[in-house]
Amino acid sequence: MKASLKNVLNNVCRIAAGLVSLVTIVSCDLLESSPYDAQVTGETDINARHVARIEQVLAGKTSFKFAFISDTQRWYDETEAFVRHLNGRDDIDFVLHGGDVSDFGVTEEFLWQRDILGGLRVPYVVLLGNHDVLGNGIHVYRRVFGRENFSFLAGDVKFICLNTNALEFDYSDPIPDFNFMKSQLQDENPAYRRTIYAMHVAPGGEQFNNNVAELFHYYVSSSRGILCGLYGHGHTFVAEDKFGDGIFYYETPCIAKRTYLIFTVDEDGYTYEKACF
Amino acid sequence: MLLVFLCTLASGYSAEPAEYPAYDYRVERYRSRWNCLVPRYIKLQTGGLMGAVSVGSGWNYGHDHWETDLILGLIPKYSDDHARLSFTLKQNYYPWKVQLGQSPFSFEPLSCSFFVNMIMDRDYWVSQFDKYPNGYYWFSTRLRVNIGLGQRWTLRIPETRRKFHRSIAFYYEFSTCDMYVTSAVTNRYISFWDILRLSLGVKFQIL
Repeated sequence: MKASLKNVLNNVCRIAAGLVSLVTIVSCDLLESSPYDAQVTGETDINARHVARIEQVLAGKTSFKFAFISDTQRWYDETEAFVRHLNGRDDIDFVLHGGDVSDFGVTEEFLWQRDILGGLRVPYVVLLGNHDVLGNGIHVYRRVFGRENFSFLAGDVKFICLNTNALEFDYSDPIPDFNFMKSQLQDENPAYRRTIYAMHVAPGGEQFNNNVAELFHYYVSSSRGILCGLYGHGHTFVAEDKFGDGIFYYETPCIAKRTYLIFTVDEDGYTYEKACF
Repeated sequence: MLLVFLCTLASGYSAEPAEYPAYDYRVERYRSRWNCLVPRYIKLQTGGLMGAVSVGSGWNYGHDHWETDLILGLIPKYSDDHARLSFTLKQNYYPWKVQLGQSPFSFEPLSCSFFVNMIMDRDYWVSQFDKYPNGYYWFSTRLRVNIGLGQRWTLRIPETRRKFHRSIAFYYEFSTCDMYVTSAVTNRYISFWDILRLSLGVKFQIL
């Protein structure tokens, strides 16, 4: 008797769950509870899956080419134009996005940008920008793109991607996360010889925790075969040897400028060029 | 002690002597004024950027052309780490009401609304937090300004069959918010349909 009651209850629960999910699937986009609902439909965990593609395609190589864009927030038409333009090229191995896919931190902004960038033929990786943190944006970023500190290998170069938007967080969140940076320094993987750092805000920026800027750069400069630092946030092109030790930090313009940077890495080092579309 | 006090108060209230008409008149006027503040209906609603599930109450006035709602809505957790509540102040206008023949149904072919929605959570600001430099973020993440258009069908309950409600109305409304409009007007990629959101609701008219 008890067992049959349990069965009935189970079935009722199953039917109810089915109905709820049906209603959710049919209506979730239209019957929105808030612009900040954090309800993510479609592709998630983009960075991890795209990193796997990059690592697989470039494994064992010492030369490759990547495009560096940033700050595409609320410039959907320009981002779309960039995707069309890049798909017309066949020399780029992947696209690195320096962060700020959203302007207001609104859930839909992440999904619109993901859908546009999803049109790229090559894999792309998105960093966390300060606008992506607003409201509950960071939760949406984590769901759609992944963790905010991560690293990956492109050929023999390790890319260390960091959240440097310190102003958006309290002291309880270590930004930049030196534990993460230290763990990267201690990585003894022989597959990489060189390192590139990528971040949304460079040391010296108003978002950066400038109290530790020197220390941050000490970690950067201590990295195996350090090549350069990459960042966005400022919406213009800047190439600067910020700490006077020959390690350059490059700022890529926002997508509204219809300009991006192309980095060519080879056996001897790297070169960069500005490209317009 | 409290009980005695309450009893005295209650007996004093009920045993109002009738020989002070000026006083009675004033009290009646006082009561009727406060009675205007008693909410006249309850609404249950879903979507429309006012919560996945929301409960509202408010006042209809101006020959039922106007309505002011106060709505409390639940924003589920989804990818966030906690659910949140939102509060909405909503002003509705119904220019026309069509009686459908002899039936107890009437139809309002157009509802126009303007509403301000507030997320009740510390992570959102009305104007940017003090930690930012002046003018760093120009928008409010906490307050949303919205507009909507919809329709409504009302079933009038015959007086003999009324238990608690005079009428029950079913409505829908398409609405959008300032942030969506801002995104759409500057981008061809975002279409008009991309920024429309739907709400469905039931209104129980009590008074």
